[in-house]
Parts: sequence; structure tokens; C-alpha cells
Amino acid sequence: MSALPWSVALWLFAIGFYGMITSRHYVHLIGCLSVMQSGTYVLLLSAGFRWGAGPPVFADHPPGTPAVDPVVQALVLTDIVVGAAVTALLLALALQLHKRRGTLDPEELRPMRR
Amino acid sequence: MISSLPPLAAAGPILVAATLLALGRHLPGRVPDVIAIVAALAVAALGALMAFRAGDGVLLHWFGGWSPREGMPIGIAFQADVAGSVMVALVGILFVASFVFAWGFFEEVGVQFHVLMLVFMAAMCGFCLTRDLFNLFVWFEVMSVAAFALTAYRLEASALEGALNFTVTNSLGSMMMLAGIGLLYARLGRLDMLALGEEAAKAAGDPVIPGAFCLLAAALLIKGATVPFHLWLADAHAVAPSPVSMVFSGGMVAMGVFGLARLTWTVFAPVEAVTEALHAVVLWLGAATSVLGGMLCLGQRHVKRMLAFSTISHTGILLMGVALLSADGLAGTLTYLVGHGLVKAALFALAGVLMARLGGIDEIGLRGRGREIWPARIAFAAGGLLLAGLPVGLMEEGATLLDAAAGAESFRWVILAVPIGAGLTGAAVLRAAGRIFLGWGKVDGEEEGAPSEQEAEKANRPLPLMLAPVAVLLLLASAVPGHLAEEAAQHAASAMMQPGIVPAPVSPGEVPERLPLGWMSLSLALLVAGWHLGRHHLPAILSNGVQALTAPVFAGLERLHSGVTGDELVWILAGLALLSLGLWLA
Amino acid sequence: MSRRARGILAAIAALALAPGALAVVRAMPPLGDHPLPYGDAVNRVAPAERAVSNMVTAVNFDLRGFDTLGEEVMLLAAVVGAVVVLRGARGEGVGDRPARCGSRPIPPRSDAVVLLCRMTAPLTLIYGLYVVLHAALTPGGGFQGGAIIGSGLVLVWLGEGYNAWRRMVPGVVLHALEGGGAGLYALAGFGAMLTGAAYLANMLPLGDWGSILSGGMIPVVNFGVGLAVSGAFGMLFLEFLEETREPEKGEEQ
Repeated sequence: MSALPWSVALWLFAIGFYGMITSRHYVHLIGCLSVMQSGTYVLLLSAGFRWGAGPPVFADHPPGTPAVDPVVQALVLTDIVVGAAVTALLLALALQLHKRRGTLDPEELRPMRR
Repeated sequence: MISSLPPLAAAGPILVAATLLALGRHLPGRVPDVIAIVAALAVAALGALMAFRAGDGVLLHWFGGWSPREGMPIGIAFQADVAGSVMVALVGILFVASFVFAWGFFEEVGVQFHVLMLVFMAAMCGFCLTRDLFNLFVWFEVMSVAAFALTAYRLEASALEGALNFTVTNSLGSMMMLAGIGLLYARLGRLDMLALGEEAAKAAGDPVIPGAFCLLAAALLIKGATVPFHLWLADAHAVAPSPVSMVFSGGMVAMGVFGLARLTWTVFAPVEAVTEALHAVVLWLGAATSVLGGMLCLGQRHVKRMLAFSTISHTGILLMGVALLSADGLAGTLTYLVGHGLVKAALFALAGVLMARLGGIDEIGLRGRGREIWPARIAFAAGGLLLAGLPVGLMEEGATLLDAAAGAESFRWVILAVPIGAGLTGAAVLRAAGRIFLGWGKVDGEEEGAPSEQEAEKANRPLPLMLAPVAVLLLLASAVPGHLAEEAAQHAASAMMQPGIVPAPVSPGEVPERLPLGWMSLSLALLVAGWHLGRHHLPAILSNGVQALTAPVFAGLERLHSGVTGDELVWILAGLALLSLGLWLA
Repeated sequence: MSRRARGILAAIAALALAPGALAVVRAMPPLGDHPLPYGDAVNRVAPAERAVSNMVTAVNFDLRGFDTLGEEVMLLAAVVGAVVVLRGARGEGVGDRPARCGSRPIPPRSDAVVLLCRMTAPLTLIYGLYVVLHAALTPGGGFQGGAIIGSGLVLVWLGEGYNAWRRMVPGVVLHALEGGGAGLYALAGFGAMLTGAAYLANMLPLGDWGSILSGGMIPVVNFGVGLAVSGAFGMLFLEFLEETREPEKGEEQ
């Protein structure tokens, strides 16, 4: 149990990577990238977890009550924004490339080699 | 000492970029160009000022005034030491050159290019100055995102493909970096790099720390384009617009090496498993990168792609200096980094001049067509000679320092990778100069294998405007007095290493004789370039025989660089495996 | 490399990585039962010194506020980049007027969709604003609220159709929101420096515990982030939706 989240994060990394190297379509590949990204969410959030502690929001319980680590939650928020930003940019690139090449198979899209 | 200078380098350009975006098209004519140039000049001046002040002690700035409480750092600090400040100055200079070169580059008057470039500049400055590990990641990522968009700026199919590969591989890198940060945070509970170093010293036997190093190093080596993490670079740098390539090759790649040096000396220096592996694996990866990059560079005919491979080769040299784990090595890397950045930016600008003036970038296709732009010829040859190790200026000084550092090695001949890499890349550039500007080196079947895509950039810009930044960059790289640079670099290196525990210098008994690296690489370069340009004058049997021997090697190397995203990712995994094996076996 | 060769190389690399990865997983601290010195310090310091109840907000907008500026700028760069890539041949000029759909048939929207969207879109927008404004108190903040406002804009599109949507949400305004929000954040930092304090240092009264204006500078920079994120998401939707129309005559695609 104590190693579960670390194993899950590792698994998400591995399965996402497998999807990326075997991908036949860029949109699928971008999805796999997001799966890998989820691995980092799991890792960070688990690193700040504490049994029997509440949320780090002292709205309905006073400051001083045991709470989990707010820092990792803030880091994950940044991480999510990174993910959203990069995904948007990647999808835009893929969309524009599809118009020019008519395909999104990574094997056929090779810069400067035709 | 506490100083309010460091935040300006990152926050200033951000404010300018945001204002430009908000005002958008209401700004008349060339106002965005002028604003961008002024901002970059200010950053260069700020970097120089900070480097000057940091000589008496680092400039520290706690954001929001959140200095550590009871020994626990709870905020983010910028810490400008000499090395970081010099990097900021270099970034500023490169962007000034790039903005001047890009004057009138884009047909439509828009602010998007300037916004992206200013954000890019701010991110590089933040990356060099920050002392917080997660903040380092944030700037790393901002740098990447701006770079992805800038690569695709021309919107040709090649540019989009290159940008996609670049984005996918480098996003994988930033995830690895974040995972590494997560591991360190879970184990050590800090994000401030100095505090992490102190905690790491207490937990030196823990396998989580080498694991985190493995991930962080892989991320930085992807950015620093080290074999086998390098496959994305040649495409991205070759397809980006020339003003952008200038900054990519001159600055962004060096950030990977600089980041690795920073992390090594602030966080991981006390962990013996890490430093041993760094020394054992990364030193040889650097040497391999230098040699392979040089060979690939020689095999190219697309001039920008050739320059991109030469960047890979020279990054290998920079990395060796970091992996030598000594003050001389680090000083050599810093000096070489600045020199190489200036020279490479100048060469990419010259490639841009070819695209604008001659409407092409194919070395063989342009043979003899560059005769009328003679100032470019001089600059191109000068750049090639500097790259090849002409014994003047910063790159030569850096190579000398690296040689001194390698003198303490048990196997000092590893340093020969420096003249080989420098010589081969210099040879390629000199060969291109001879072909394009003098019409030497006739090749049979010139049209075969020429790049099919139209490679021209906007032509109606005055030549002096494009060549002025080139001249300034080359002058800066060659005219700085060697002993001054050496002194400054050694000062910077020892300040950068101070937070960590400096390993006891391996006393070599007697100082071995210095190798004349500069002359070695210069003669190699002239020999190889001469061979390529004069081959058709030699007896056919000699010329064809050598060709038959070398062609399969070059073809095989080129085949490995297939440009398929999947291949690039698998090689990254292989590199990660190599690092991890090094860590467990060391 | 063939797909087969790639698979083999990947398998070898994975095998070589496995022992290291397993050693790291085994050596990681047990879940939920290890010291969290940084988090505890924040939970101790921030309520006392900033009078906010949401610690994540305190970390995001004050203690590590500089990270958020970087994050903000990264989003800005990504959106500007996506705009550059998507506008492509469309050029910048056509960005501000609703495009004609050309020969594309416009399917009539069902009354149910229109009714539902007209009911939920304003609610979603108001809820987004609520989440932005209550950053200091309850879970949420500029990023989360900005994203909700962005979704509200999509509901407007769904209910009113593309042309009406473009009239209501002009691109210039979205760019101004985006740049203005980020600019506000950066300016707030410089404002603090003018008083001689550190960048992004607090210079406003802290307010009362439990009020939306508590936290000094936090509500200001949080509002900047809310503006910028709404603008950024709106811009992304606008550019991606623009892709769904067919090119006009003589317009290169």
C-alpha cells in the first residue's frame, strides 16, 4: 500500500510512453502525452499526502488543524496549466499540418526528408 | 547581498511583452521592433552590471520578501552569481542581434513575433538566475513553449513537422524534469536548491536521489541535445526562421548544459553516486556527441541543418567540461559557451543572408552564386575559422581551460574529442564558404538530392543591416583578451561551485604538457575542407576509394536520424537507461 | 528504424531501466506518513501573516507568486503560438469579424439546446466569476475560475451560433484581457519594488479574516490571472472554432 502511488505514477509513465512510440496518429500521440503527464500529478499529489489530515483550506476548521501539503497542490495546478498549454499548441500544429500533408501518421511526417 | 536587480531581467521583458500584446495592432509601424531592441539591450546591460556587482558576492532577491523562516526557505529566490549574470548578458546580446537581424523580416506588421521572443528572453534569464528548483522548471517550460511556437512560425509543412517533433520530445523532457522534482520533494521536502543540497548531503545513500538526478539530467540533456537525446534538434533548428535559429543555437541549447552544471553543483555535489556517474557516463556522452555531431555536420548540404549539427557537436564539448568536475573544466565550459553562442548566432544570421539574398540554402545548389556578396564571404570564413579553433578569442581560451582540466584525468586523451568535433564542424563551414562564395568544389550530379522545398526568406532588407549584427557578434567572440576571460571564468566557476562540496583535486603529480588543441583542430578543419573542395583534382582512384570507405558510415548515421517522432522518443529512453545503468554501476 | 527495431530497442532500454526504477519505488517514503516540512511551514506562516484561509492560494499568489507569473506567461505564449499557427494563411486581418460559413449548411439548433444554453451559460459565467473572486477563502482561484468562464463562452457559442458569438466576444478584447491580465500581474510586482520592497511584496492592508478582500495583494494578482486565463481560453476557442468554417472564395487555406 505504501508504494502504491509511486507504482501508479511509474505505470502511467510507462504506458503513456508505450502509446507514444507505437502511435499511428498524432492526436492519439498527444493523448498519450497527457497520460504521462497524469503520472506527474499522481506523484506530486501523493508526495504531499498525510493520513488523517484535512484540506489546506482553513475556512471551516481553524488554522492549526492537521492539513496536507498545500505546496504540491499549487505545483500540480501549475503542472495542469502546462499540460493544457502544450496540448493546445500541439493540437494547433497537428491541425495545420493535416491541412498541408493530408495525414497525421508520425511515420510519414518527417521534416526535410523528401 | 540583497539586491533588487535580478528580478528585472525576467519581469521586465514580461511586462513589455504583455503590454505589446494588450496594445496589439494599435502600435504604429516599426514601434514593436524598436521596443523589442531596447528591451533586449536593457537586459544585456543589466546582465553586465550584475556580473560586475556579483564579483563581490552573489546578488540575492527573495520574491515577496519571503526570506527563510527558522532556516526553512518558504519563498523563491533569484541568486545572481557571476556565471548566471554573464549568461543573462549573453542572452541579451543574442536577442539584440536577432531583433536587429529580423528588422523587417516579417511581411505583415504584427506583435506576435515580438511577444514570443520577449517571453523567450525572459524565460532564459529566469532560468539562469533562479535558485528554486520548481521555478527553474517553470522557466524551462516557458522557454520551451515559446520556442515551440517560434519554430513553427513560417508555417511551411517542414516547419510544422519540425515543431511537432520538437514539442513532443521536449515535453517528454519537461515531464521527466517534473518527475525528478517530485522525487526530490518527496524525499527531501525542499524546493530551494541550496537547501536541497544540504538535505541531500544528509541522505546521500538514498537511491531516490540518484533516481531524481537521472530524470533531471535526461531532461536537461534533451534540451542540450546530447547523443542520444539529440535527434530533435537538427530539424527544429533548421526549419525555424533564421533570427530564431540564432537564439536557439546560440542560447537555448547552452541552457541545458548550464542547467546541468547549476544542478550538479548546488544540489548533487555531495552525493557521491551522482558525481561518479556524471564523471563516468556524461563525460563520454559529451565526447561521443562532439565526434558524432562533427561527422553528421560534415555530411550535410543544407547549410542550416549543417550548422544545427555543429551546435550538437559543440554542446558535447561544453558538456565534457561540466563532467570533468573541476573548476578549470567548468570555467572552460563557461568561456567556450559564450564564445560558441556568439559565433554560432553569427553563422545562423549568415545562413539567413544566403536565404534572403540568394533564395536558397543548399550548399551545392548555391555553388559560386555568393560571389557578389563578398562581405558575407569574409564573415562566413571568419566564423568557420573560429569554430575550427583559430587560436584567438573566447572559444580558444575555453578549449585551453578544458585541456588543463583534462590533464588531471586518468585518461586524458578523451579531450581529443574537442579538436575532432571542432575540426569537423569547422571543416564543414569552411567547405560551404568555399563552395558558395568562391565556386570551388565542383560536384557531379549537383541537382540530385537537393532539398525540394522552397527555402527563401524575405529579400528586400538592406545587406548592411543584416551584416552589422554578424560583425558585432564575431568581434565580441574574437576580440576579448584571453587572460581577462580566463580570470573571469575561473572566478565565476569557483563561485558557482562554492555551494557544493568541491571534490579534492586529483593531484596528477606533474602537470602534463598542454596539447595545442586549437592548432590540431584548425589543421584538421583545413585538411578536411581542402579534401572536399579539391577532391576532383586528385586521382580518381584515391578520391573514389576514400569515398567508398566513408560513404556508408555517413549514410548509416543519416539513416539513424530518420525524423520519426517514435525513433526520437525511443532513443531518449535508451539514453535514460544508459544514465540509470551508469548510476547503479558507478 | 523499422517499427520492429524500435520495439526491440525500447524493450532493451526498459529492461535496463527496470532495476533502477524498482529501487526508487521501494526507497520512496511510505504514502502519507513522512515529514512535510515545507507544507507545515506554509500552513503555520500564511494564516498568521496573510489572513487568508486557502493555503493553496497563498502559495500560488504570494509565497510562490513568482512561479505563477511564469505560468501565466507560459499560457500567454502558448495561446499566441496557437493563434500564429492556426491563423496561418488566414492572415491577421480577418480576426475580428465573424466569418461567413460559405457553402457550409448551418443546421438549425434545436430549441432545447438554445433554451438550455441560455439558462446555463449566464450561470456558468457567474459561477466562474464567483470562483475567481473567492480565491482567498475557498478552493478555486484565478486559474480555475478563468477556465470555467472559458467554458461559459463555449456555451454561449452553442446557444447563439457562431456569428452571434463572434459579435459578443471580439478577438481584440480577448487579446487585451490576456495581455492586460499578465501585465497587471507583472506591474503589481514592480509596484511593490517602487516602495523599496521586494518584487511582488505585499503593500496593501491584509483585510479581515474571511472576507473576499483578505490577503493584501492576493486579490489583485488573482484577479489579473482570472482576466488573463479567461482571455486565453476564449482566444483558443475562437481560433479553433474558426477552423470549422469553410474558406471564403479566393482565400488560401
